[in-house]
Amino acid sequence: MTPFLRYAVFLSSGFCLVSLLILLIKTFAFGRRTNYAKHRGSAVRGVLYAFGRGMMPTEKESARRHLFTYSAGVTYHGGILAALVYLVLLLLEYELPAPLLSLFRLLLTLGFVAGFFLLLRRILLPAPRKLSCPDDFAANILVTAFVLLGAVHSQWESGLPLFFLTATAVFLYVPLGKIRHCVFFFYSRVLFGLFYGSRGVLPQEKKQEAA
Amino acid sequence: MREHGTTSQRMPLEGDAPLEGGAGRLTPEELRRSLQIFREKLSSDEVAYINSCVRCGLCADSCHYYLAEPQTECIPAYKLGLVTGVFKMYFGSVGKVFPRWMGARRLDRQTLEAWVDSLFGRCTLCGRCSLNCSVGLDVTRLIRLARSTLVSVGLVPRGLQSTVDTALQKGNNMGIPRQEWVETVEWLEQELRGELNDERARLPLDVQGARLLCTVNPREPMFFPLSIVAAGKILHAAGESWTFSSENYDVTNYGLFSGDDDAARVMAERLVESMERLGCETLVLAECGHGFNSNRWKGPQWLRKRYGFEVRSILEVVADYVREGRIKLDPSLNPDLVTLHDPCNLVRLGGVVEDQRYLLERSSLHFVEMVPNREKNFCCGGGGGQLSMSEFSERRLSAGKIKAEQIRATGARVVAAPCHNCIDQISELNKHYKLGVETKTVCEVVAAALVTEG
Ligand code: SF4
Ligand code: SF4
Repeated sequence: MTPFLRYAVFLSSGFCLVSLLILLIKTFAFGRRTNYAKHRGSAVRGVLYAFGRGMMPTEKESARRHLFTYSAGVTYHGGILAALVYLVLLLLEYELPAPLLSLFRLLLTLGFVAGFFLLLRRILLPAPRKLSCPDDFAANILVTAFVLLGAVHSQWESGLPLFFLTATAVFLYVPLGKIRHCVFFFYSRVLFGLFYGSRGVLPQEKKQEAA
Repeated sequence: MREHGTTSQRMPLEGDAPLEGGAGRLTPEELRRSLQIFREKLSSDEVAYINSCVRCGLCADSCHYYLAEPQTECIPAYKLGLVTGVFKMYFGSVGKVFPRWMGARRLDRQTLEAWVDSLFGRCTLCGRCSLNCSVGLDVTRLIRLARSTLVSVGLVPRGLQSTVDTALQKGNNMGIPRQEWVETVEWLEQELRGELNDERARLPLDVQGARLLCTVNPREPMFFPLSIVAAGKILHAAGESWTFSSENYDVTNYGLFSGDDDAARVMAERLVESMERLGCETLVLAECGHGFNSNRWKGPQWLRKRYGFEVRSILEVVADYVREGRIKLDPSLNPDLVTLHDPCNLVRLGGVVEDQRYLLERSSLHFVEMVPNREKNFCCGGGGGQLSMSEFSERRLSAGKIKAEQIRATGARVVAAPCHNCIDQISELNKHYKLGVETKTVCEVVAAALVTEG
């Protein structure tokens, strides 16, 4: 069973990468508008800001106001990344040294808890629930299950077929639903940096009182 | 100049129907046309944004509409969803097959009505949600794209459309005839001379080869002539070579708000023509938030060319005078506590952040910041064309509550706002929320502190 599922993971991840590439090509096919206005600030500094300081709660009122949700989001994504790396290591049949394995256990467990919290938040709070469509719930459930099964395997070395099966499902779903933001997040963030950087809006050096 | 309602993408409805039921009168052909325009306006950036939103809802309380009225319809992501849903239905592979699963929606009459109500009626295009978005996606770009689509089927709220039409027909958004503008400038020149007690003081018109060409918001000659005198006083004190134009001087561009790119292009081009006709070096934009965004940033994009001249806000120019010692200020001449409102289009979307502070700190004895400020400021609620859409004025005043609270918290007597739209809205908030403040342009505060010879 496991060798078959191993191939399934490989194939689905290939499908995922190719589909995301096609999606990006299709996106670029819509064409970009040239910016003819003379820059006021630095686009490069804007992009660096977008991927650095600009993601911090110190800079973002929304993150400050929802510090718990923001932290859960960061932890969840950390857990997803850990699950992906863990999956690759398993596929390569790499024996993890004990301290590293403990680190993975921790990241995966925290990632699962954060993912589950975000799922509950989406179900229980009226505003996120009204904003959501089935795709949002499906994506969250699928990815949280993937992280959970990674955590289970890292703890008890059991449930490998299920972990591979969920990984396959995740890879198949990524380009179809909202998880595609794993690519478009970076695209949008670059645009954010280019926009505010070239207009000289960000980064701002002057400190201002937090709201 | 184009005729009333004939912007190339606009297909007016029979009898120019009022908003209610407007979309209900659309023919299938018009609906097809709206989808075509929606597709034409999409670029890769918008598509990337559409694919980025994770519907986390963290943008909710960055929007002044939601803070004033915490309901789903006011959440930026909800407004965004009205637009992204249409993309998913027609251009997303999964959304076409499983629309409910993906939150896709048809571009039908119901959607168009919802767009009018939410995207015109509950958004000032202030961009505060974009700054606070988990991803950083530009919500205003997608909302404006939908507004452009509404232009194509004549569903722009009447007041906003008529402001655009007046500007297209008459050359400025207040419909001021050329002769009246010239006479107003002459009359204000006399006022300036009287005030400065200096016969050399001028409000020059059509001076060929002047260094600066200054623009005005047509509301100034109509309702706020003193702000023109204030700017003239500063320019005179600095010994500047400058001029107004007797034609094509309007800094505003309501095509930015309505989403009508063709109209916006015509208006932006007019200022370029004035610059070329008079051979000036720098186009100086009056204190007008959206006028700054339109002419400094969007104009070159609408005209698809780099400008062969500088485009600056008058605030940048005046701040340079102070830095270079060309004008002297005495802050004791403004003893009241002054605060500053940051117009979204000038600051968060425009990049003019510090010069107005530099000026107010030097021209008033007590200057206090609102919290939050600069690019994180709250919209006053008057942007996005709201002041011209009377059907949404109740919402506009309610959405301005957070700005009113910010102003009250400063304890200021004077609110300096470098934008006439914002001044209008803050003046209404002043009455509605009983703030007891006076609103002024930054140049008015600076001019009051000017140390003049004699
Ligand atoms: S914060 Fe950004 S990603 Fe989250 S719902 Fe709002 S617009 Fe979408
Ligand atoms: S642009 Fe401003 S008004 Fe519009 S949804 Fe975003 S925060 Fe609200």
